[in-house]
Amino acid sequence: MDIIVLTKRVPVTQEEELKIAPDGTSVDLSRVPFRMNDWDNYAVEEAVRLCEKQGGVITGVSIGDMESDEVLRRAIAMGAKDGCLIESQGVVNDPFTRALLLKGFIEKENLSFNMIFGGVQAEDDQFGVTCGILAAMLGLPFASMVIGIDEIQNDAIILRRELEGGIQERIKIKMPCVLSIQSGINEPRYVSIMGIRKASKVERKYFKADKYLDGGAGSLIDVIRWFYPPKKEGAVILQGELEDTCKQLLGILKEKGVLQ
Amino acid sequence: MQEQAASRVLVCIQCGKCTGGCPESGRTPFNIRMLMRKRQFKYAIEEALPWYCTACNTCTLRCPRDVKPSEVVIEIRSSMVENGDIPVTIQKALESTFVQKNPWGKPRSKRGDWAEKLDFKVPHISETEHKRLLFSCCIHAYDPRCMVIPVNVATILNKAGYEFGILGEEECCCGNEIRRIGELGLFEELMEENKANFEEYGVKEIIALSPHCMNTMKNEYGDMGIKVMHYTEVLSNLIKEGALKTERPLKGGIIYHDPCFLGKQNKVFVEPRDILKSLNNVEVREFARSRETSLCCEGGGGRMFFDVEVPYQRNGEIRVADAQKAGADTIATACPFCLMNLEDPAKEKGLFVKDISEILMEVI
Amino acid sequence: MSYTLIISEVRRGVFEERNLDSLGLAHMLKKPVYMLLPDGQYPVNERWSDVLIKTDIKEELFTAPKNICLLLDKVIERFSMPDVIILTHSSSGTECASYIAGYFKLPVITDVNGMDKDAKTFYKSYYSDKVYGEFAVPGQGPVVITVRSGAFRGSIEERTHASKEETIVGVFLDSDRAFIEFVEEEKTEIDITKAEFLVSVGRGVGNKDELPAYDELTGVLNATLSCSRPVVDKLWLPKARQVGQSGKTVRPKVYLAMGISGAFQHIAGMKDSECIIAVNKDPEAPIFQYAHYGIVGDMNKVRDKLKELLKG
Repeated sequence: MDIIVLTKRVPVTQEEELKIAPDGTSVDLSRVPFRMNDWDNYAVEEAVRLCEKQGGVITGVSIGDMESDEVLRRAIAMGAKDGCLIESQGVVNDPFTRALLLKGFIEKENLSFNMIFGGVQAEDDQFGVTCGILAAMLGLPFASMVIGIDEIQNDAIILRRELEGGIQERIKIKMPCVLSIQSGINEPRYVSIMGIRKASKVERKYFKADKYLDGGAGSLIDVIRWFYPPKKEGAVILQGELEDTCKQLLGILKEKGVLQ
Repeated sequence: MQEQAASRVLVCIQCGKCTGGCPESGRTPFNIRMLMRKRQFKYAIEEALPWYCTACNTCTLRCPRDVKPSEVVIEIRSSMVENGDIPVTIQKALESTFVQKNPWGKPRSKRGDWAEKLDFKVPHISETEHKRLLFSCCIHAYDPRCMVIPVNVATILNKAGYEFGILGEEECCCGNEIRRIGELGLFEELMEENKANFEEYGVKEIIALSPHCMNTMKNEYGDMGIKVMHYTEVLSNLIKEGALKTERPLKGGIIYHDPCFLGKQNKVFVEPRDILKSLNNVEVREFARSRETSLCCEGGGGRMFFDVEVPYQRNGEIRVADAQKAGADTIATACPFCLMNLEDPAKEKGLFVKDISEILMEVI
Repeated sequence: MSYTLIISEVRRGVFEERNLDSLGLAHMLKKPVYMLLPDGQYPVNERWSDVLIKTDIKEELFTAPKNICLLLDKVIERFSMPDVIILTHSSSGTECASYIAGYFKLPVITDVNGMDKDAKTFYKSYYSDKVYGEFAVPGQGPVVITVRSGAFRGSIEERTHASKEETIVGVFLDSDRAFIEFVEEEKTEIDITKAEFLVSVGRGVGNKDELPAYDELTGVLNATLSCSRPVVDKLWLPKARQVGQSGKTVRPKVYLAMGISGAFQHIAGMKDSECIIAVNKDPEAPIFQYAHYGIVGDMNKVRDKLKELLKG
């Protein structure tokens, strides 16, 4: 069972107040730390668990600048055999272009695989489509939001996809295939600093992105401007006697759609 | 340090002095003597057990054979860390520390924001004459309740004319808890980063706001040629020298709770009490369990990030009840973890928990 | 021909409400609206779209990514390529959108929550809604979009005429991916992370005897009861209900915090809730800094009054 796992290095912005440049053309991430995309972390863990049971090797692949080497080291520390970095000029915002790059890379470098894993989405752009586009381009079957792998058969895999409202669907999908892995499918192991130091000794491979685009399609979509979403209002203290405030409270619950 | 602990565990005679002083043994599934036994004979250890230890160090201080049980706990945790199999909340704290240099996962860029609450400007350490560094600690930098402490201490030092500086967002977690969680690689990384800053800016003295930071920088960072002190030591001196006057009277009975990392682990018993005794009108009371035998608040050794599954009466509640029996209405302490763990149960009983810096702010 | 195509989502025989946002956006685009529907017996308002394209494909096969592409081949053959293809931003909606983009080589923008007035660019959230990006599609060609639930349903305008009906049957379906069954997620114990509405009690509840009345309150509110750490420490509620750094992280639509002061560790577990309402007798309680709405008052009195109002 050979698995390619797509990993992305993303800024950790949950607690940050992000600043947009005055002309709206960029978001300042200069003081924000980065790490492996959380969903990819689950994808790597799932691949490692599968290969521990079934045998096979895992190759981590990432698109980005040299800093993205960090997520490959982490993937190796978790159990990947090696890591490949597709070095791009600047950030690739369009998921279509990312998928095109990955397709070119996998085909030109003759990467062999039974499955390709990625996270459901990246924490930064939250597009959630790179794996699906890649699957269609490669002509492979695809399933997203994979929340459980139930059985591996000879040429197929039985898995569960997460739907809305506490429902899952169980499907059978032929291999080779592309799966996007949902968070919560497993509990990713902790990777210690000593583990990462050891992984740093495994050689990673570096490739230039321009080789894989065939001079073709640039981005199909462009970000023309960044802007702040409408501001949330501050805490409103409900005023009045007990009965009034409670009535207002019930009104809010209705407005939010949790009370009929 | 690991190897030393491994070899010492074999000389354990199972006398049980460790268990006798342990704040967790007997009340939770944790039993430090039995843990040493299991380690001696390499028996399997239930995975939740090592995480009960609060790293208060009482066992190590009481051990007649110098087994250092608290170091053995770190060794056990360390192998769990290297295997990647640790409680998920501890894992989050470690990953946050790796990324943001604090276990709470707050942005590093906001680490120095507390200083904006001051009505004067604290210089960066590089701009100071005496190179005295006020080391804020992660929890003081980010927790809204604890943030008053650096603000207070900075205000008091400024008032006393004691020059100091800060590192702002260059400061990173001291690693005291990280080492006790068993993540020795990460501890080293944090230590190296802090030490590099200390060296670059020629730090001569460190005023640590948390006893936990003080402990690791003083005892585990190796010889840096820097004098590391807790802020109560500095303030006590300033009061003695007359640079700081405690004028306004306070009412009521104050009882002092010794933080483990300040008291029993670093023998700073006198200075905090001296500060309290310098206050007008105040009766300073003592717990029956005080100084070396002070009852741990259960905030150390990673316990701020790990909740045990088994419910039991928390030491904080016992401590508050004891304070009430002793006739105190305010519990004074000098550690953010103690403050956090005592305050909630105290509120319920109508008692106050205050950091010594908060009490000083009321009287100067 | 110029038109907007909606790929609807029907789940277990129900036309999902989030389709309304696809319809809302389609109406804003001011072009004929064609809506593609799976087989089944479910009501759809006939004045929402101009053309309903019915198929004989069962819902669970309709939303499989390759199948939808094979079906689209037929749609395009019959009606030409649509200008915009809209899906819901859901598990299957996004899955299909990505595959369509790869299959037909089309640009795709997901989780769209706004559009400029000329309908030339689309807004999409980045970094968990901290900033929005405005996206242009330079190629002028068709674009695939998934819409955020709740973003456009207000823009629906009913047509004056009922929609025309078209039918596509006999699509040769994909055999590489087969549907087996729907499964309910396992529920071992109460899972507060899945609740849309949490009523959370803290130390302020006072004593254990007050808790049954909160059970009653959550019963009439159709909410789930959760709590802060001290309540678990006292054995008043099980650990599975604890919110916070050492408990569960929750993101409900509404988090009603009663008698919770808002310790740092608790906030870490609930700050991302869509709407936070705090009830606390201490006006200085830190929880008010994180809440959207607050009531300064005794939680038990608020509880009783709410119950009274709801029953009355």
